[in-house]
Amino acid sequence: MENKHLSFYEEVRRDGSSRRDFLKFCTTMAAFLGLESSGVGQIVKALETKPRLPVIWFHFQECTCCSESFIRASHPIVANIVLDKISLDYQETLMAASGFQAEEAYKTVMAKNPGEYIVMVEGSIPTENEAYCCIGGRSALQILEEAVKNCKAVVAWGNCASSGCVQAASPNPTGAKPVHKVISGKPVINVQGCPPIADVMAGVVVHLLTFGRIPQLDELNRPKAFYSRRVHDTCYRRANFDAGLFVESFDDEGAKKGYCLYKMGCKGPVTYNSCGIIKWNDGISYPIQSGHPCIGCSEAGFWDNGPFYQHLPSVKGFGIETTADNIGVGLGIATAVGVAGHAIVTNVRKKKELSNAPEAVSAVEKPKV
Amino acid sequence: MAERIVIDPITRIEGHLRVEIEVNNGVITDAFSAGTMVRGIETILKGRDPRDAWAFVGRVCGVCTSTHSLTSVRTVENALGIAVPPNAELIRNLMANALYIQDHVVHFYVLHALDWVDVVSALKANPAEASRIAQSISSWPKSSVGYFTDVQKRFKNFVESGQLGIFANGYWGHKAYKLPPEVNLIAVAHYLEALEWQKEIVKVHTIFGGKNPHPNYLVGGVPCSINIEEANAVNAERLAMVGKLFEDAKAFVNQVYIPDLLAIASFYKSDWGAIGGGLTNYLSFGDFPMNGYNNPESFKMPRGAILNRDLSKVHEVKAEDPNQIQEYINNSWYNYSKGDKVGLHPWEGETHLNYTGPKPPYEHLDFSQKYSWVKTPRWKGYPMEVGPLSRMLVGYASGRPDYKEVIESTLKTLGVPVAALFSTLGRTAARGLETKLVCDWALESFDQLLANIKNGDSRTMNNAKWEPASWPQSAKGIGMVEAPRGALSHFIVIEDKKIANYQLVVPTTWNASPRDLNGKRSAFEESLIGTPVADPKVPLEVLRTIHSFDPCLACAVH
Amino acid sequence: MRSRTIPMREVYVWELPVRVYHWVNMLCVIALCITGFVIGNPPAFMNGTEAYFNYWFGTVRFVHFVAAFLFFFNFIFRTYWGFAGNEFARWTNFIPLKRCQWKEILDVIKVDILQLTHKKIDSIGHNALASLIYFLTFLIFLLQCLTGFGMYSAMSHSSFPKLFAWIVPMMGGDISVRFLHHMLMWGFIIFAIVHVYLVFYHDYIERRGVTSSMIGGWKFIEEDVIERHDAKTEECPKN
Ligand code: HEM
Ligand code: HEM
Ligand code: NFV
Ligand code: SF4
Ligand code: SF4
Ligand code: F3S
Ligand SMILES: [Mg+2]
Repeated sequence: MENKHLSFYEEVRRDGSSRRDFLKFCTTMAAFLGLESSGVGQIVKALETKPRLPVIWFHFQECTCCSESFIRASHPIVANIVLDKISLDYQETLMAASGFQAEEAYKTVMAKNPGEYIVMVEGSIPTENEAYCCIGGRSALQILEEAVKNCKAVVAWGNCASSGCVQAASPNPTGAKPVHKVISGKPVINVQGCPPIADVMAGVVVHLLTFGRIPQLDELNRPKAFYSRRVHDTCYRRANFDAGLFVESFDDEGAKKGYCLYKMGCKGPVTYNSCGIIKWNDGISYPIQSGHPCIGCSEAGFWDNGPFYQHLPSVKGFGIETTADNIGVGLGIATAVGVAGHAIVTNVRKKKELSNAPEAVSAVEKPKV
Repeated sequence: MAERIVIDPITRIEGHLRVEIEVNNGVITDAFSAGTMVRGIETILKGRDPRDAWAFVGRVCGVCTSTHSLTSVRTVENALGIAVPPNAELIRNLMANALYIQDHVVHFYVLHALDWVDVVSALKANPAEASRIAQSISSWPKSSVGYFTDVQKRFKNFVESGQLGIFANGYWGHKAYKLPPEVNLIAVAHYLEALEWQKEIVKVHTIFGGKNPHPNYLVGGVPCSINIEEANAVNAERLAMVGKLFEDAKAFVNQVYIPDLLAIASFYKSDWGAIGGGLTNYLSFGDFPMNGYNNPESFKMPRGAILNRDLSKVHEVKAEDPNQIQEYINNSWYNYSKGDKVGLHPWEGETHLNYTGPKPPYEHLDFSQKYSWVKTPRWKGYPMEVGPLSRMLVGYASGRPDYKEVIESTLKTLGVPVAALFSTLGRTAARGLETKLVCDWALESFDQLLANIKNGDSRTMNNAKWEPASWPQSAKGIGMVEAPRGALSHFIVIEDKKIANYQLVVPTTWNASPRDLNGKRSAFEESLIGTPVADPKVPLEVLRTIHSFDPCLACAVH
Repeated sequence: MRSRTIPMREVYVWELPVRVYHWVNMLCVIALCITGFVIGNPPAFMNGTEAYFNYWFGTVRFVHFVAAFLFFFNFIFRTYWGFAGNEFARWTNFIPLKRCQWKEILDVIKVDILQLTHKKIDSIGHNALASLIYFLTFLIFLLQCLTGFGMYSAMSHSSFPKLFAWIVPMMGGDISVRFLHHMLMWGFIIFAIVHVYLVFYHDYIERRGVTSSMIGGWKFIEEDVIERHDAKTEECPKN
C-alpha cells in the first residue's frame, strides 16, 4: 500500500503555483500561527516532506470501547500514533470540531486524497431502518457508502464492525450488519474482539504504515498475526486442561490454584485471539488469568452461543440450560422405550407367525452367489 | 431575530447527539437535544440467562465500561436474594473507583479541555513562564522549562505539518477563550500526559476483571480468586500493583488534575460560574458500600434527592416505588402498548422501536413531534439532573464531612459562593472534587481488603444461588449504581429462569432526554437556555455546557 | 409345533473386508463416543493435585484422535469396497434410485415397523430400508469426520488435517462445528440402539441368522428367494 499521497508542496506545484507562491503561503501561515520568522523554514520543510496517512474514523452503532481500547495502546502510545504516524482527520471522540466543521473535516480528506485515505469503522450499520443511526442528519449507511467509494482500504474495528456484535444478537431489532456485509469492492480488515486488544489495534496501524501493505488475512479477513491461534492453544492454564484439572465452581479450591476453566464454560477452545500471548493493557492479564472463562468475544455471533457459563450453547427453542446432552439423553431414553415397546408389540402381533413359523431345513450344498 | 442552529455531531462525547438551538439577540432561547442512534439492547436481553446479562449491558458503553455490568450483577443478586462476600464488594468498589478516576480525568483533559483551552494559542507561550506557573500551583515533577519547551516544539511541528488531524477546524481564536498562552501550554502538556497516564489506572480492571474495556463480572461475587500463596490467583504481587496504581492515581489527581482545574476555573469563574445551571433538582443513588450493599448508611456516597436547590433537605429515594421513577416516550421514537401518554415504572417498561422522524438525509428534526431515541425518565414527576454535581450536592446537603471539606475549601480558594455550583463550571468542578474523594476512598477499600485477607477471609464468591434450579419461579430485582455520569438503575423481571423484562434507566437518559408530557425540559435542554452565543456559526458556548455533563448517548439510548 | 418345513440354503453375503470393516467401525464408534462424551463433560477426577503429575484428559483426547483416524480410513475403505465388493456390498444397494427400492421401503415399514401385515421381506443382503438408513449413517460418518477434522486442523501442524481447515469458517466458527459434532454423537448412540435391536429382531422373526452373518459371513435364505434372485426376472433383484 504505497503512499502516493502528494505532499502539500507537490500539490501546490501541481495546481500551477510557483515555489515563490508556496513560500509566501508558508510565511502567511507562520504569521497566522504567531511564529517567529525563523519558524518559516520549519513549515517549508514539513510541507515538503511526506505527509501522514489520512484516516477517517466513523462511529456507528457502537459503545466507543474500541476507541477507548485504542487509547490504551502502549506500543506505540496513542499520542504518538495520532501526532506522528497517521493524520486522524475525523474521529468523533477525540476531535476538536463539532457540527458542520466536523463534517467538513472528513469531506476535505475525501476530496483531497481520493484513493489514499483509510476508512476505519467502529460499530455496525443498521439496515432495518436507516434512521436507527444518523449523524448530521445522514444515515450511517449513506455516510459509509460515500466514504468508502474512494478509500484505499477499510479497517473494521471490533466485533461490531466485523460481525455486528451485541446489537446484532438475536432478534437483532435494528438489522445491525457489519461493514463487509454492506459495502463491496474494498479490502476490509476485520480486527476482531469486543473490544480488540489495544496493542493489536496499534499493531494493525503500525503494520499498515511500516510495511506499506495490508497484513495477511485469514478466511474471515482477520489479520493472521493476531487471530490464527485459539486462546486455548496459548493459554497458560492449558497444562491443567491436559491434566484434567478443572474449576468445578467459582472460587473453589481449583479456582484458587488456577485450574482450567473449561467446565465453567470457557470458550478458549473455540476462540481465535491473542489474549494468551499479548494479553491486555500492556501484558497485565487476560480474562482467564483473572478467573473468568473466555466468553469468545472475538468470534462472530458469540452472543448467541450462550449461556456463557455452559460448555456448549443451549439448544434454541428449549429452556435455558437445555444442552445437547439433555436432548441426547432424552432421545436415547425415548429410543430405548420405543425399542422395548416395539419388542413387546412384536411378540403380541406376530405371535401367530412366530408359533407357525416353518422349520428351516438348511441345505448343505455350496452356495451360489 | 431568531436563528435556528444545528450542531450535529456533537463531538468529544460518547455517541450520537444532535442539539438544535434557537438564538435570539445572541442568547439561546430554546434548545432541543436528540439521541440519533439506537440498538435495542433491552429487547435483545429478553429470554436470556440472567447470569449473562452483565456482559450484554456492559456493551452498552465502553466509556463508562464496567458500570453497567456492576449494576447488572447487583440487579440479579437483588432479584435472587444473593449477598456477595465482603471481599467481592470491596473489589467491585475498587473497580468502580478506578473507572471514576480514569473516566473523569479523560473527560477533563481529552473531552472537555478543548472548550476552555486554545491549543493554537499555546504555540505562542513562553515555556519559562509556563514552567514558573506550573511550579507555583503544583509540585508535579514534570514542570521544567525544558519539558514545556519540548511539548511546545512537538506541537509546533505537528501544526506546521499542515495536517491538523483531530485539531483541525477547531474553534481556535474564539474570543471566549480566556486563558493566557502559558496556561494553555500547561493544559496541552497535561492533555498528552493524561492520555498516556489513563491507560495505567485501568489496570485495576485488568487485574480483577481480566481486561479493560469491558472487564468481567460475576453474579454472586467477582471472578478472580484470592490466594496469597499462589501464582495463579490474586496474590501479594497483584495486590501491590493495585496499591501502587491507586497511589499514582492519587498523585496525578492531586498534583495535576485538581491544580489545572482550579487554575482554569479561576479564569472562567466570573461568567461560567453563573451560566448553564439549568434544572434545580438533583438525584443521586449513592454508592461505594463499605459494609454490604443492602446497608446504604455505609455508602461513601450518600443516596438522596434535592428539589429546588434546597440544600437543607435531602429527600428519600426508593427505586422500587412505582410512583418515583417513571419513563415517558411522548417525545421519543417508541410505542407503549397503553399509549404514549403514560409513564411506566421500569419493571413494566417497554421498548418497541417506532421511528416517525424525517427520512435521512434531513436538515431539521420536527420538534412538534417525537424527536429522540432517548426516553424521558422522571422522579416523582420532576425532571432531575444526575451526575457529579448532583452527588456533590447530596453529599454536601447530607452533611458528610469529607464532602463539606472539599467543597468549602474550593469555594474559598476560588472566592465564589455556593450558588456558583449551580452552573456549567460548577458541574465541571464537582467532577474534579469528586475524583479527589474517590482516590481516598479507593485506598480505604484497598486497606480493608488487605485486612480481610490478613484475617483469613479470602472468599470472593457466593455460590449458593448459582444454579438456576435454586431460583424461584419468578423474581424481580433492582440494581442501583452511581456511574461516573450519574444515577444508574437496572430493573429485571425473571420468569422461568429467564429474563422476561430488563430495563435500563441511565444517567444520560435523565440528562439528555426530550421534554416530558408537561413540556418540561430535561437537563441538557434546560441548561442551555439563557446562554450567550457570540457567533452562532462557532457555538463554543454550547459545547461548554453540554460537555460539562459528559454526555454518553450510547448509554442514554442503549 | 411346526407344521411345515421350508427349504433354506446358506448364502455367503458378507465378505471378510465388510465384516472386518464392521467390527473395526463398531469399536471406533464406541471408543469415540466414550472419549467424546468425556471430552464434552469431563468428570472431576484427579482434582487436588498438580498438573505436572497428570495427563489423563490429554490421553482421552489422544485416544479420541487415534480412533478418529482409524474410523476415517476404515470408512474410506468401506466406500472403496462399495465399488469393489460383492453385490450385497455394492453402493447401488444403499441409494434407492429405483422405484422398487422405495416399494420395498414401504413394505418394510408396513411389515416390520408398524406391523400392519405379516408377509416376509425377501431380501438376501440388507433390506431396502436398512440400506437407506445405512446410507444416511454413512453421511453422518462423513459429517462427523469433516467436523472432527475441521476442529482438529486448528490443533495440528501436519498436512492431512489442514486439508479440512476450510470447514470451520464455512460453518460459522468453531463453536457451531463443535456443537454439531457433539450433537451427532447422540445420533450415533441412537442409531446403535435401534440397529442392534433390529438385528436381533430380524433374527427372531425371520430366523435367517443375521446376527452371526456379520461374524461368519453366511446367512440362511429360503430356496425360493434364492431362485427368484438367480432368475433375475423381477424388477428388483433380491439382494
Ligand atoms: C463416532 C464418531 C465421533 C464421535 C461420536 C465423536 C464425539 C465427540 C464429542 C462428543 C466430542 C466433544 C465435543 C464437545 O462437547 O466439546 C468430540 C470432540 C472432538 N472430536 Fe470427535 N467424535 C467422533 C469422531 C471424530 C473424528 C472422526 C474426529 C476427527 C479428527 C474427531 C475429532 C474431535 C475433536 C478434534 C474434538 C475436540 C477435542 C478437543 O478440543 O478437546 N472426532 N468428539
Ligand atoms: C456402534 C455400533 C455399530 C455400528 C455403528 C454398526 C454399523 C453397521 C453398518 C454401517 C452396517 C452396514 C454394513 C455394511 O453394509 O457395510 C451394519 C450392518 C450390520 N450390523 Fe452393525 N453396527 C454396530 C453394531 C452392531 C452389533 C453390536 C451387531 C451384532 C449384534 C451388529 C450386527 C450387524 C449386522 C448383522 C449387520 C447386517 C445387517 C443386515 O443385513 O441388515 N452391528 N452395522
Ligand atoms: N450515561 C452514562 Fe454511562 C456513565 N457514566 C452509564 O451508566 O457513560 Ni457511557
Ligand atoms: S466491538 Fe464491543 S467493544 Fe467494540 S464498540 Fe462494539 S460493543 Fe463496544
Ligand atoms: S482455561 Fe479455557 S483456554 Fe485455558 S486451557 Fe482451559 S479451556 Fe483452554
Ligand atoms: S472473552 Fe475475549 S478478551 Fe480474550 S480471553 Fe476470550 S477472546
Ligand atoms: Mg431504558
